[in-house]
Parts: sequence; structure tokens; C-alpha cells
Amino acid sequence: MESTSSSLADVLERVLDKGVVIVGDIAVNVVDIELLTLRVRLFIASAQTAREMGMDWWTGDPFFAPHSARAELDRRTTGLEAAEKVPERAPEAVHER
Amino acid sequence: MSAERGLCAYAITRGARWDLVGSPELRAAGPPELIRHDGLALVVTEVDTALFGGLDAEEPAEDGLLATLVRDHDAIVRAVFEHEPVLPLRFGTVVADEPAARRLLSSSCDEVTRWLDRVAGHREWGVRVDHGAQPAEETPLTGLSGADYLRRRRQSRLDDRQLKDHQSDAARALHSALVDLATDVVHRIQRPQTLLDAAYLVPEPNEDAFRRAAAELGEEARGRGATVHATGPWPPYSFTRLELGVTG
Repeated sequence: MESTSSSLADVLERVLDKGVVIVGDIAVNVVDIELLTLRVRLFIASAQTAREMGMDWWTGDPFFAPHSARAELDRRTTGLEAAEKVPERAPEAVHER
Repeated sequence: MSAERGLCAYAITRGARWDLVGSPELRAAGPPELIRHDGLALVVTEVDTALFGGLDAEEPAEDGLLATLVRDHDAIVRAVFEHEPVLPLRFGTVVADEPAARRLLSSSCDEVTRWLDRVAGHREWGVRVDHGAQPAEETPLTGLSGADYLRRRRQSRLDDRQLKDHQSDAARALHSALVDLATDVVHRIQRPQTLLDAAYLVPEPNEDAFRRAAAELGEEARGRGATVHATGPWPPYSFTRLELGVTG
């Protein structure tokens, strides 16, 4: 556990809607913080989801691809390169779908 | 169009005689000042309140206005936190002027002092554990019969459930070790794949033990395929949930 520089998402999570709230007529309302927090949460969630899923989520999802197509593809590419002979089309490619 | 000026407030701290030596590097805010009253201080910068209006229009981005303002906010809170116990204020808190700031400090003096004493000598640490994906199977599907395929699918789902159980156990073990070393804990809103997402308020003498436990048990959870994300140290952002207003 090292203290690394924190990502923007980590900082947003803490700074946006945490901390002391000041109410009453001494506070000047400059931003709708609840709405802003909601928008940021949605944005972070969708960005994280997209990244975690690499935008090609179906290839890694066991439901759609019981053996990960990505790993299989890498293995096959390496095999082909080692053989120094690239066939026009891998015969089992149809199983990747 | 006349620009409305206000005081953007970042934190409440003790009003001892000290200065923000080595003022943090800020991107949008001016140099922070301390408004002192009754042994407390409000940390503020003067701002044009229209600045915050731009937040409604923009998409959050790494170099956008929101990121800039939020990083400034964090930098100022941390600069104070290096010297004194601090109660961070929520982002976007603006008070009208200096008299308003003084009224706030005088009317909430007891409550603020109590909270400052509570977080003094503590730092916040965050730990999140997410389910990890099952390692990819190596055997190809070529030549597999339909029945074999379904059997394998079922087995793979059973394995998956077992893996998730192991990861949940690891996350629970991690949490119970950490919570023993903390004064307080706050659980965050969880996403579906999240096993643990908590902030711990850790007294300084326990920090080494806390970090050791987080590293060791975090490694164990990782060994079971979970992802572990630890952050800190933070000022006590997650442990200052109070509302202050001028009363009477």
C-alpha cells in the first residue's frame, strides 16, 4: 500500500459531496452540488466500465465466450508468427464469434 | 455585468498563529487566506462566483474546469492538513464576505472544536476490492459435442461462483483486520462488482500496522484474482459529515 498520486476519480469521490456543509443565509449558492455529483458519478462509472471492459467486453465475458477469445487470438498470432507462414484464414476462426 | 465576489471556503482548522508556508501550487484559485475567530480559522480564497457557473455546461474531463477546481480544493485542504487538524468543506462552498465567515465560526465554535479533536492525529485511507474475472480457459472448443459444451459451461459457472466466494472471504478478512486498526470506518456506495469500498480513519500510531495489513491481505485477495485499489493518506474527507449554519 503506497501513497501514490491520486487519480482524478479518487479526488472527485472525496471532494465533491463530502465534508462540512454550510447552510443558511451566509452561504452563497454557486453550484448545484447534488446535480454535479450525480453527473460526475455517471461519467466516472461509464468511463470505468468502458475501460474495464476494454470496449470489447463480449470477448472476455464467459457467457458469450467460454474460452476468452482475446487470449486465444494472442496465442494463435504468436503461433503463426513463429511458423513464419501466415495462412489466409485460421480455420477455427468461426468459433470466435 | 458586474462580477459577484465571494469567499470560496475550503476548510476549517484551528486558528493558531501559523501561515500557509509554501502555499500550494494552484491553477485557478488565488492565494489562500485564513479568517480567524474564536480560536478557529476558515481557509478561503476570493473568487468570482460566476466561475462556478461554467461547471454546468462542461463534460467532466481530466483538464477541464471541474478537475482544475477540485484539484485546487484538494491542494489547499492538504496544505492546511500538513500543519493542523482540518475539517474539509464540501466543494463549491462560498460565503458572502469576511463578517459572514466570522459569524459562522463564532456560532459553530463548540461543534467544530469537538470534530477537530476527533480527527486530530488521524489520516484517512481508502481501500476498494473488486471481483476479478476468471482466468481464461486454455482448451479450444474445436471438436466439442453440444453436451460436452454445456457440461463445461456449467462447470465453468460453478468455478466462477467458487472463485467469487473466495474473493469475498478475502475482502472480509481484509476489512476486519483494517477496521480493528481504525477509529472509524465509512462504507461507500458500491457498484455491482465491488466487494469492499471503505474509507478508514486511522490514528497515526496505527498507520504502519494498517499499511502492513492492507499490503499483506490485499496481496492475498489479489492472489485469488480480485483487484485491490488502495489510496491515501487523505485528509479526513469522509469523516466530517456535519452541517453548519448561523443560528439565532
